[in-house]
Order: sequence, then structure tokens, then C-alpha cells
Amino acid sequence: MCQFGVRSGWSPVSRPSPGGAELSTCCAESARGVDRSGGHRDNPPVSKIREFLATPAGRFVWRYVAVLSVGFLILALRPVNDHVVDPYTTFVANESRVVLNLLGENARVVGQVLTSPRFSVTIFNGCNGLEAILIFVSGVLAFPAPWLRKVVGVALGFVAIQVFNVIRVVSLFYVGVWRPQWFNVSHVFVWQSLVIVFGVVLWLVWVRRYALAKTQR
Amino acid sequence: MRSRRPNADLRAFLIRLPAALAAAVAVWFLVRPLYNPALCAVAQEIARFGERPAASMVVLRDNDALLGRSDLRANSEWLKLPMTQLHFNLVPFLALVLALPAPLSGGHWRKLLVALGVLALSHALGLVWELKALEALSMGPWSRATYSDLARNVYGTLRYFFNIPVTFALPLVLWVAVYWERVVALVNLPAMGEA
Repeated sequence: MCQFGVRSGWSPVSRPSPGGAELSTCCAESARGVDRSGGHRDNPPVSKIREFLATPAGRFVWRYVAVLSVGFLILALRPVNDHVVDPYTTFVANESRVVLNLLGENARVVGQVLTSPRFSVTIFNGCNGLEAILIFVSGVLAFPAPWLRKVVGVALGFVAIQVFNVIRVVSLFYVGVWRPQWFNVSHVFVWQSLVIVFGVVLWLVWVRRYALAKTQR
Repeated sequence: MRSRRPNADLRAFLIRLPAALAAAVAVWFLVRPLYNPALCAVAQEIARFGERPAASMVVLRDNDALLGRSDLRANSEWLKLPMTQLHFNLVPFLALVLALPAPLSGGHWRKLLVALGVLALSHALGLVWELKALEALSMGPWSRATYSDLARNVYGTLRYFFNIPVTFALPLVLWVAVYWERVVALVNLPAMGEA
């Protein structure tokens, strides 16, 4: 996550007043009557799920989830984090520094901190674009298309998301400079939503314009 | 189903998308005052499931969830998690839905309700894993005494998965699952709606 002053996400606060919340009791007993015989072929919800997974939509969804899960598991490994994710994040910070300096800022990078006399941003996991890239790449790999087109899609998508992410970091930098009170909203709400939508649009365009460009004719 | 006008459907979708995004933001702002307390209450119930004593607490303060335990000393610090971080993905999901023509027609409203339920469940579980990871990893000797190494790793992993992969990927997965025929038409892919 990007950061301004105080790290977004977790932060210590004082204990709320006792009257601040309605406490509810544990309800373990309420689950005793639940039917746990799921998995039977005549069980309507299970058979519906099986039917769905047998459709192209279902196949795409489970392949997508599988590729995505494996990808995120790999990214979560400490050696991968230390030797791939962290250097990549520094690379993103340096890309943003170059753009900011072209815009007249005296920016520099210290580790994963993009700093200037006017503002500083720390780029964490979740802000380096790797997640968006992985989500797009998983969509490309899960889709039934020729492998060469998948490779081209992955390469072009990687570049596009890189550019998008640099725009995001630079814009957040200027939000921090001019409207620091808007930083958290811009960071969490606006840009993360846009990243997801951008990834989906990119995937749609890839499928429509490239993945199926000739195979359907 | 294949479009007779190549790229026209996709172009129309992309043209509608900014307005759909604005509408999704409006819906999100309207729903948030009701959704936040409901989410905290459900997450607290789930977190307390089978817990003895039932002391895990999720308290809403403004737009933040305060996470902690009621059986720790009175001056212990609680942790604050912005609720926006948990459920902002409702916005891109609704934007993708609203950018489609007639998104509720043809019985899609039922599937959409299920998808929204799944999304809400992911939000509640995301909050639960944040709380459990806090308890298992960040409360010093109490954490080590109460949670095994396996539990600590499991909760840490669940928090990571719900924090990033699930949050970012679920909107696309649900959108494709609910509107597969429309997505097929959008990408001009024939004979994919059949098993």
C-alpha cells in the first residue's frame, strides 16, 4: 500500500467505550442442525455447481482461480518476495521518479520510498502493480486461445499495466502534494477500483481484438 | 451468440463504463452507512463462532472497524482498519454490471443477488481473518500461548489472500460467472455458451 505519514490500513487506536458496540454471544449451537451431507450427486446446489463447472464459464472460472491462487502463493513466498517483488517494487519507484523529475520534481528513491522535498510515498505490496498484472495474466492464461497470442497478450498487458501504475503513483504523489486529505480516498477507493476495471477492460480488449482475431474467421 | 457488428458491443460497453462507474460510486456511498454496521456485526458473529470465551470484538467507529478483544486489559490498544479497504471492490463489480445492457433481465437478478452475497461474504471473512491474524500474530506472548504455529500461519495466509487476491480478483470472477453469455457476446466468441 502507498503511504503518507501514517501507514494506511492498520493503526493503533484507543479502546472503544464499553457501550460502543453491541456484544453478541457465540452461536456454535445454531450450526448443529445444518445438513452436512453436501457432495451427494442429487444435492441440488452441488449438482448445480458441477453443472456450472462443466460449462465454458465454469472452466474459465476455475482455471482463472487456480492460476491466480498459484501465482499469489508464489508471490507470497519469502525468497520470491526478497528477490523478485522487492526489486520490482524499487523498479516501479524508479520509473515514477523518472516521470516526476521530468515534471520538475526533485525526486529520489530510497529503497521503496519515493521522496521529494514536497512529499513522500512508500510503495508496498498491493501498490506495485504486480497484483493487477497477475490478475490480467491469469485471465489471459485461463482463456481458451492459442498460446502465441497468450504470450503476446501477457507481454503487452504487462507494459500497459506498468504505464497505468506509474500514472497512478505519480497522480497519488500530486494528490499528496496538493490535497493530502484526499490521499487515502484516492489511494484506496479511486485508484484501486480503477486498477480492477482497467485490468478487466484490458482483458476484454485482448480477447476481442487479439485472442480471437483470426481463429473465429 | 455472436455479435453481427464486430466491436460495436465492446465499444458500447466501454462508452457506458465511466457512467456506470459513477453510478456504482453513488450506490456504494448510499449503501455504506447500512452496510458497514451489518458487516461488523456479521464478522463478529463469525469470529466468535466456537470461541470460548466469546471475546473477539469488531466495533464500527466512523468508517473504520476497530478490532480487539473484550477480555484484555482496559488500556490495551485496539487496531483500526478502514472499511473502505474491505469493500471498495463493490464499486468495480457494480460498474461492470451496470455497463452491460439490461443487467437485471432474463433472470440475471437472481444470479446477481447470489454474486452480491458472495462478495459480502468475502468482505465479512476478510474482516474475520484480519481479526484472527491480529490475535494470532500481533498480541505478543498471548498470541503465542493461544495459537499454534500452524494456526498462526493459516490465519496469516488467509489474511493475505483476502486482503489482496480475493479483493482484486473476485469482481471479475463474479462478473464473468453471472454474465457469461453477455461476456461471450462482448468478446464475440461463438459457441462458448454451450457445455
